[in-house]
Amino acid sequence: MQFRRVRTLEEALHVLTELGDDALTLAGGTDVMIQYLHGEIAPEALVHIEGIGELATVSLNGRTTLGPLVTHRALVTDEALGTAHPALAASARTVGGWQTQAVGTIGGNICNASPAADTVPPLLVADAHVTLVSRRGERRVPLTDFFLDRRKTVLGPDELLTAIDLDPLRTGAGEVYLKLGRRGAMEVALVGIAVRLGFAGDGTVGSARIALSSVAPTPRRVPDAEAALIGSRLDADALDAAGEALRAAAHPIDDARASASYRRRTLRGLFERAAIQCREAATR
Amino acid sequence: MTVETRVAVAFSVNGIAHRLEVDPGETLLRTLRDRLALTGTKDGCVEGECGACTVLVDGKPVDSCILATATLEGRRVRTVEGLSGDDALCPLQQAFVDHGAVQCGFCTPGFLMTLTALLEENPSPSPADVREALAGNICRCTGYRQMIDAVAAVTAHGERP
Repeated sequence: MQFRRVRTLEEALHVLTELGDDALTLAGGTDVMIQYLHGEIAPEALVHIEGIGELATVSLNGRTTLGPLVTHRALVTDEALGTAHPALAASARTVGGWQTQAVGTIGGNICNASPAADTVPPLLVADAHVTLVSRRGERRVPLTDFFLDRRKTVLGPDELLTAIDLDPLRTGAGEVYLKLGRRGAMEVALVGIAVRLGFAGDGTVGSARIALSSVAPTPRRVPDAEAALIGSRLDADALDAAGEALRAAAHPIDDARASASYRRRTLRGLFERAAIQCREAATR
Repeated sequence: MTVETRVAVAFSVNGIAHRLEVDPGETLLRTLRDRLALTGTKDGCVEGECGACTVLVDGKPVDSCILATATLEGRRVRTVEGLSGDDALCPLQQAFVDHGAVQCGFCTPGFLMTLTALLEENPSPSPADVREALAGNICRCTGYRQMIDAVAAVTAHGERP
């Protein structure tokens, strides 16, 4: 295995074009190194991008833009970012322990394409788009279209994810991320849910975005559940209808952490709790 | 065919400069224990779950068992061996002893390093801050209460960790 240390975006794109499928991009390495040490991956080359300073920036002007090398720890500790994106900060806080958060990056969490990726549901409810760049050009892809399957994405072998842009929370809206697990720390989500609700002056739901993780091969938005909440006051009928839509969109599996049946049965309660907390958190 | 290419990397450990040639997949844990004979850093789960291998890189706690040494060009690493002077324990280590926070001792170096990072970032952490900081370190015998007490003792005395 080769190790290629790159310091600029241009250099990274050059190396990725040269190596193509043989290369794997390495940032903090908290996923890549475990997979490598377990023999799950055997790349011909690691391309170490962690030193590319221009990919670690945060911009909060209008639509938020995050560089892929922003660490989970930065998401947890950056107060301005936490105000604009409370669910994202909350999700980053649940990724591993401090040791993982200190070096693990948001770009890595996205590109690793785990069904349980913590930061992805909050990104989905913020209508996140990712910018993918190669020497051939640049494209901006909605995060909803980025994931193809478990650990499979649309990212080409010569492409690098260079930015994530997303909607900050607006006045009158609230968002939460809730994660079901057996422990409060070091847990992979059994079910993860992010909800962002915007409320009209009369208290009815004006906008709704709901995203799930750990219940399907990829994290996903659930438009039918979102539609069921629009115009409601989160009354029982609306929550029932949205809950049914979530159940229909969930295709969980049995694994070592939980049964599919348990995930399906807990989803509804987790969703209702998230919706109510959104209302309580909504800025007025 | 996979070609193994050795990588030159220069970094410091406890203030001492090292220049090594490593395999790309070599972890900092293996480098510390097998090449530099710094065996205070423990080999626990080897998958970033238990925190026994925690060291500081540029002041941040990291799991050395899943960190590639090749990524450390220009970085400063601190291990548990760097905490104490020639004769004396550092205040945090002494507080661990005084409060019975060490039983088998296997997890202790990792806890000390995470807590050192915490105290450098926040000199007066609340018990809740301490608990959150320690989420990535597991102790299977002593328990955590004595460690939280030890941190409280250090911060109450206003000592540097």
